[in-house]
Amino acid sequence: MKGYAGSILRVNLATGQISKEPTPAEMARDYLGGRGFGIYQLFKEVPKGADALGPQNKLIISTGPLSGMLIPGGGKCDWTTKSPLTGGYASASMGGHFTAEMKYAGYDSIILEGVSPKPVYLLIEDGKVQLLDAAHLWGKGAFDVEVEFKHKYGEEYQIAAIGPGGENLVLYACINHDFGRQAGRGGVGAVMGSKKLKAIVVRGTKSVEVADPEGYRKAGMALYKACKDAEGLAEWTRYGTTVVTSWCDEVGALPTRNFSAGSFEGGEKIYGQTMRKEIVITDKGCFGCPCPCGKYSHMKRYGTYVEGPEYETIGLMGSNLGIADIQAVGEANRLADDLGVDTISAGNCVAWAMECYEKGILTKEDTDGLELKFGNIEATFALIKNIAHRQGKLGNLLADGVKRAAEKIGKGSERFAIQVKGMEQSGYATHSATSMLLAYMTCDVGAHHNRAWAITYDLQVGRSLVVPEKVARVIWLQNFRPMFDVLGACRLQWVELSIDRDLYVPAMEAITGIHRTWEDMEAVGNRIWNLTRLFWMRENEDFGRSWDQPSPRFFEEPPKTGATAGQITSYEDVQRLLDMYYEQRGWDNNGLPTPATLEKLNLAQIAS
Amino acid sequence: MRLYVDSTKCSGCRACLVACSLNLFQENNPKKAALNLIPHFPAPGVYEMKVCTQCGDCAAVCPTEAIKLNERGAYYVDFDECNLCEACVPECPEDVMYVRAELANAAWKCNLCGDCVAVCGTGALWIAD
Amino acid sequence: MPATIKAYGMLKTYLHGQNEASVEHGLTIRQALAVLGIPSELVAFVIVNDEQKSKDYCLQDADIVKVMAVMGGG
Ligand code: SF4
Ligand code: SF4
Ligand code: SF4
Repeated sequence: MKGYAGSILRVNLATGQISKEPTPAEMARDYLGGRGFGIYQLFKEVPKGADALGPQNKLIISTGPLSGMLIPGGGKCDWTTKSPLTGGYASASMGGHFTAEMKYAGYDSIILEGVSPKPVYLLIEDGKVQLLDAAHLWGKGAFDVEVEFKHKYGEEYQIAAIGPGGENLVLYACINHDFGRQAGRGGVGAVMGSKKLKAIVVRGTKSVEVADPEGYRKAGMALYKACKDAEGLAEWTRYGTTVVTSWCDEVGALPTRNFSAGSFEGGEKIYGQTMRKEIVITDKGCFGCPCPCGKYSHMKRYGTYVEGPEYETIGLMGSNLGIADIQAVGEANRLADDLGVDTISAGNCVAWAMECYEKGILTKEDTDGLELKFGNIEATFALIKNIAHRQGKLGNLLADGVKRAAEKIGKGSERFAIQVKGMEQSGYATHSATSMLLAYMTCDVGAHHNRAWAITYDLQVGRSLVVPEKVARVIWLQNFRPMFDVLGACRLQWVELSIDRDLYVPAMEAITGIHRTWEDMEAVGNRIWNLTRLFWMRENEDFGRSWDQPSPRFFEEPPKTGATAGQITSYEDVQRLLDMYYEQRGWDNNGLPTPATLEKLNLAQIAS
Repeated sequence: MRLYVDSTKCSGCRACLVACSLNLFQENNPKKAALNLIPHFPAPGVYEMKVCTQCGDCAAVCPTEAIKLNERGAYYVDFDECNLCEACVPECPEDVMYVRAELANAAWKCNLCGDCVAVCGTGALWIAD
Repeated sequence: MPATIKAYGMLKTYLHGQNEASVEHGLTIRQALAVLGIPSELVAFVIVNDEQKSKDYCLQDADIVKVMAVMGGG
């Protein structure tokens, strides 16, 4: 099979058994790779009702056909598992250099199963794979672990590690790599922690064969040329994702004080241009990326370094906490990364607790003495540490995510727990941006932005409109954009540099030997989208429409300040969006795929 | 003509390394490239990239005269004539003369094909006199 | 001397297919966008002489201003 490494590595943490099997050709044909491989194997292999943190759950890491190739941004891998945070599907994408290394070592997927009796790490050196004792690393921060392995094994080894957050089963723990890249969302780090697997260390020295070497070289070079010729390459590279911060603030999309508004009076202090001037020292890219979005920063006040903060972290740990100080945001980012918790979910949890505190729902007794007001930097740092260590009453409460925390505390705090399906919402305030709101409601992992970043479309066509075109746009994005995660490449070259997506078609063909148009690939995207839906249904008996509801804040409480002051989406409009969405997807009124739809997508068999 | 690098612009992406291995060996394998990327993380947080200056020191010591000049005026390794003696490796002031018998059965170095420059998006690499 | 505004991506449609236009200095970028009929909401960011600036920046003599369209985001 050209373009693939050819094998799947299976590691049973309970028995220590390590085996390899050929990558099934039908799986490559129907699901291509990356998150396609992830959901297919998850659906097939993890039994219904498995405890996400128990021995039956699996953590599946997959590369794609474009990973490790001469393709701009071919450095993404997918981490799929049953989410301990949501009880549904989790898939987190990770950049950096791990993916390429894993593929050169010979693996399309690594399937981690069972629970180890003691802390271990997995060492992969091409075909030689070992589980080794990690007792001395347990409790350490992810950065320290990476430094230690780089010293021990050398620069050619790539490392993915959890911090204390993963060990302590914080339900949104992340996995860290390359001093600042993460598999962030959905609690993949907690699953790794539950398996007592501290780190994966990998080195690969093999080559990957392609179907048509000359065509591949040409197509790859053409993609690089398009990126380098793109208008805005230099500007984008200078600021990365932070370039949109000021725009989000201007249009009322910047999450502010637990999403109570979309514009922040201290915005300028956390804009991309401020960050670039004050703390950025190096541009840092993933494997093969000509337009590196990673900004490596030095926070002089704290004497620390971090890759980031990128836009999401600026939103969730800056404006959403009322913090108008880029060095503090950088330091909060570093703490969360090193301790191994997702900055988006953690930022939401802290913001929710701050709102509870200011409203008197939580008192100093509940916060372990923290003066938890919006803008309190020291309290934020302290709370992030408490969460990662599950320390104190509040730390332990918030480690379970904002939905569970609000259910426990009650007193109306459920109305401002900003989440969908139990996953905290990422960095766009959606009081008045109906496609973006729908994108969050229907995203396959919970309230995450990256499947369908539709907010610019809202601004183009009218932000509060509720029309079928908007719904169609969201569905198209959901079928198309995640295909980059399937192929094992970054989508930002297409998104930000607007390179012609058809340039990928000859590259894919030369690599795999199979001609596929984008329409073909979108059809795969559609099948994958429906399969993830089936997974949610299988794991949750009451799954349906009620799981797709947004946080009430977006239909009950118009912001008092900022660009969206007074604006809100009505509850009726929210339901109308869902009606149209279900209809266009071929799902019933409760949001479940109809038998006819499953038949059409060739999913009827796997569903039964 | 030779290759130049401005390490302060390098983002450590390794695109150049893949392009290089593809040119030298017709393989995707950044471990078989003739540029030397040295990341310094987490502190001070910079990349260091070393490239061949075409100084010729490697060619001067090669006992089999396997390191020759090509039409671009660059030294390259004639794979057929290299016997893996490693005499050239310690001579290289930039650490970009490679012998790794486990990866390839000849030494390799930069032959100034320019493919790395073509893929580098940050302008860190260029060719000049 | 007037300042030069260069439009990128879909913003070009507002300049009737032209890539650039001149505006008097002394205006803020927000005002200049209004004069040219480019909706400010669709301008993701503004680069003046290679630095990102706010839309309240006051145009100086001979500034080169790039206005970039909102793109796909993260
Ligand atoms: S744009 Fe950013 S995330 Fe994408 S490949 Fe480049 S550095 Fe990685
Ligand atoms: S490989 Fe090293 S010794 Fe040989 S020409 Fe290049 S820089 Fe000089
Ligand atoms: S392609 Fe350019 S930015 Fe990337 S590693 Fe090579 S020199 Fe550095």
